[in-house]
Amino acid sequence: MGENSVAITGIGVMSPFGPGFTSLSSGLLECRSCLRPLTIFDSGLEVSPTVAEIRDLPALEEKSGFRLSRTDRLAVLAALEAARSADKSADFHESGALIATTVAGLTGINPAIVANPAHFYHEGGFAQVTAYPAYHPADAVGAWLELNGPCWGVSVACASGAISIALAASMVLSGEVPMMLAGGSDALAAYTVSGFNSLQALDPEPCRPFDKNRKGLNMGEGAAVLVLETIEHAKARNVPILALLRGWAMTNDAFHPTAPDEQGRGLAQCITSAMAMARVSSDDVGYVNSHGTGTPLNDVAEVKAYEAAFRGRRRPIPVSSTKSYFGHTLGAAGSLEAAVTIAGMRASTLFPTLRLTDPIESASVDWLTGTPRQQPLPLAMSVSAGFGGSNAALIFELPDGVL
Amino acid sequence: MTLARPSVTGIGTVSPFGPLRGLIRQREMSPRTITGWPTNGMRRAFLVEPFRPTDIIPGLKTRRLDRLSVWCLVAAGLAMQDAMLNLEQEDRSRIAVVLGTGIGCIELTEQFFQSMATNGYAKSDPILFPEGLTNSPASHVARVFGLRGPNLTLSHKGVSGEGALMQATALLRTGQADVVVVLAGDTLTRTVYEWFEAAGVLSQACLSEIPVPLPFSTGCDGFVPGEGAAAVVMESAERATARGARIYATFSTGHATSNAKAGPLAVRRTLGLASLADVNLVVSSANGSRAHDDLELGIIQEVFTEKVSVVAPKSVLGESDSSGILRLIAALSWSKHKDPSIALLLGASTTGNTAAITFDLP
Repeated sequence: MGENSVAITGIGVMSPFGPGFTSLSSGLLECRSCLRPLTIFDSGLEVSPTVAEIRDLPALEEKSGFRLSRTDRLAVLAALEAARSADKSADFHESGALIATTVAGLTGINPAIVANPAHFYHEGGFAQVTAYPAYHPADAVGAWLELNGPCWGVSVACASGAISIALAASMVLSGEVPMMLAGGSDALAAYTVSGFNSLQALDPEPCRPFDKNRKGLNMGEGAAVLVLETIEHAKARNVPILALLRGWAMTNDAFHPTAPDEQGRGLAQCITSAMAMARVSSDDVGYVNSHGTGTPLNDVAEVKAYEAAFRGRRRPIPVSSTKSYFGHTLGAAGSLEAAVTIAGMRASTLFPTLRLTDPIESASVDWLTGTPRQQPLPLAMSVSAGFGGSNAALIFELPDGVL
Repeated sequence: MTLARPSVTGIGTVSPFGPLRGLIRQREMSPRTITGWPTNGMRRAFLVEPFRPTDIIPGLKTRRLDRLSVWCLVAAGLAMQDAMLNLEQEDRSRIAVVLGTGIGCIELTEQFFQSMATNGYAKSDPILFPEGLTNSPASHVARVFGLRGPNLTLSHKGVSGEGALMQATALLRTGQADVVVVLAGDTLTRTVYEWFEAAGVLSQACLSEIPVPLPFSTGCDGFVPGEGAAAVVMESAERATARGARIYATFSTGHATSNAKAGPLAVRRTLGLASLADVNLVVSSANGSRAHDDLELGIIQEVFTEKVSVVAPKSVLGESDSSGILRLIAALSWSKHKDPSIALLLGASTTGNTAAITFDLP
């Protein structure tokens, strides 16, 4: 346990495996791929893209005057599960929420809005647009959970979900709020499918992160929300601590609007800084849940980052990308993969990258392939990166007595 | 190194007053008639006049960027000039960028929608898509100026600027950065303006050349939208004074709530042990809409038992979700305090969000 450690006392997940953290854990343990042709809307592309979608979204009690986008619904459902174990004391209601997103309410907006906005609003689009801003999922979580603390949106592209957790940890440690709900949510949207297609970043087949023959990413949707509080606060409430967030860091490549630094310098610095904050060595980290999108540029830069950050380690660092199971969930990815990392730690399991048969060569990386590897995992890292060059690294630790 | 009380040491703005380094000297401003899109009769707003970014920051490449990204680049550059920051001598991995925005890069998001509608979903414009992302402005500031520290973009209706100031302070206090370029901004587009019209929240001053009713006045009938971006450099006072930079204000404390009823409590927590008599200025977010102004007046009246000076800069800046930093700069520019005192930056929205930050004025 480090001096900056923050307790995680609740985890809520909406993933293509189904609702709940348990569904996520079991889907990963079974090495189930959720990647299939898109069905929930017409993408407008010639061939339906391969995605990971959530079918049969659970019902959610409505609130009058509050229009929910699909992204909002995913966020609220995940937050309700995360907060299930929290007693709804005064302390809880003084808590806040940092919910990351990149898509937010774009799911409900039609391109027709641009030609004649007033007409679009008159024809029923007015309420849909209320859910457009990036703060709306956080607002929705705050409203459904009756939180009085700060409820803010975080939008740092695909590093958003991890960054919201890092920021919430600082807020909890400062004593500003008793607890924070932090995570991310993004739903599949025609807007983003069209956008990534325009960038030629989509693999038409199920993606193959870190494979020499990788062709791009698959999009997914989901949400994950963690409950963060100080260890003392959790002990005072007498609630089980699921994991500790022991350290974190955020950096920017300052390199290119969409491409990562080719040498992975910003990400390597991020990983090194997170280990310094956590006061752990590279040998202490048992596993890295990578960003691993499957795009040609990202995966090479990421391997360079691991080679730099884990240089001097006694053994190659075990790495996998669980985007090979449920695609790239954009603003939710960092938080969903934080939940994946904790699931692996609690199950003493290192999840492999699916379809990784011919990995990028690296003497520094121990590629996890094939079947899950069973081994105690007291300390692990989740790494995220995004357009605009932002990077985030989160280091999790199991509390004493869990292994 | 951690820092208890970060100071504002540089200011840059792109507002209806134009692109400016340092304080805003001019105080009067009227809304401008909208000519950038077709309107159903006269429509007015507090608009930023077009300007050439390279006239302000030589060599700046802004082609095909969202206006918000352009304004953030210009405002950040001006703020760093004002702070006398020599980036060549700085460890730029220790300089963070934090942006607060309500709706982000809406202009290029609309253009991407247009490309989907015109060309088909399969042939949308690959340049527009990444530039429409909410974090693009902060990312461009990092890329252009080589700032490799944490890079954050936050959004909250009405208090997006205040949220950015609070998160920037947290980065400095926890030692995650030595310097933060804090930005807040939003742009006005046709879809945004017509949404306000559909919601029935605009003042009659948007539709004709009548004077804009002052916030809190009896003639208030709605707000006039505004746009712009503001940047402040935050760091330790010692660091800044060693370079000869000016200390404009020093962050003391801040609190935020998402419950309208908890607004007064958030202000009281922010004021802490400070005597109410020491607060010589409340920088209000009142915008001329009755519901908003009543909400904010209620908070002020509940907390302050004695009279306190209140300024409402939205009367010349207009309404935007991210006005917090611009309002702070306006208040620093226009207040006439002579002795050290405390300014309270108050942000509120009718959805219940309230943020309160105190600044010590030198």
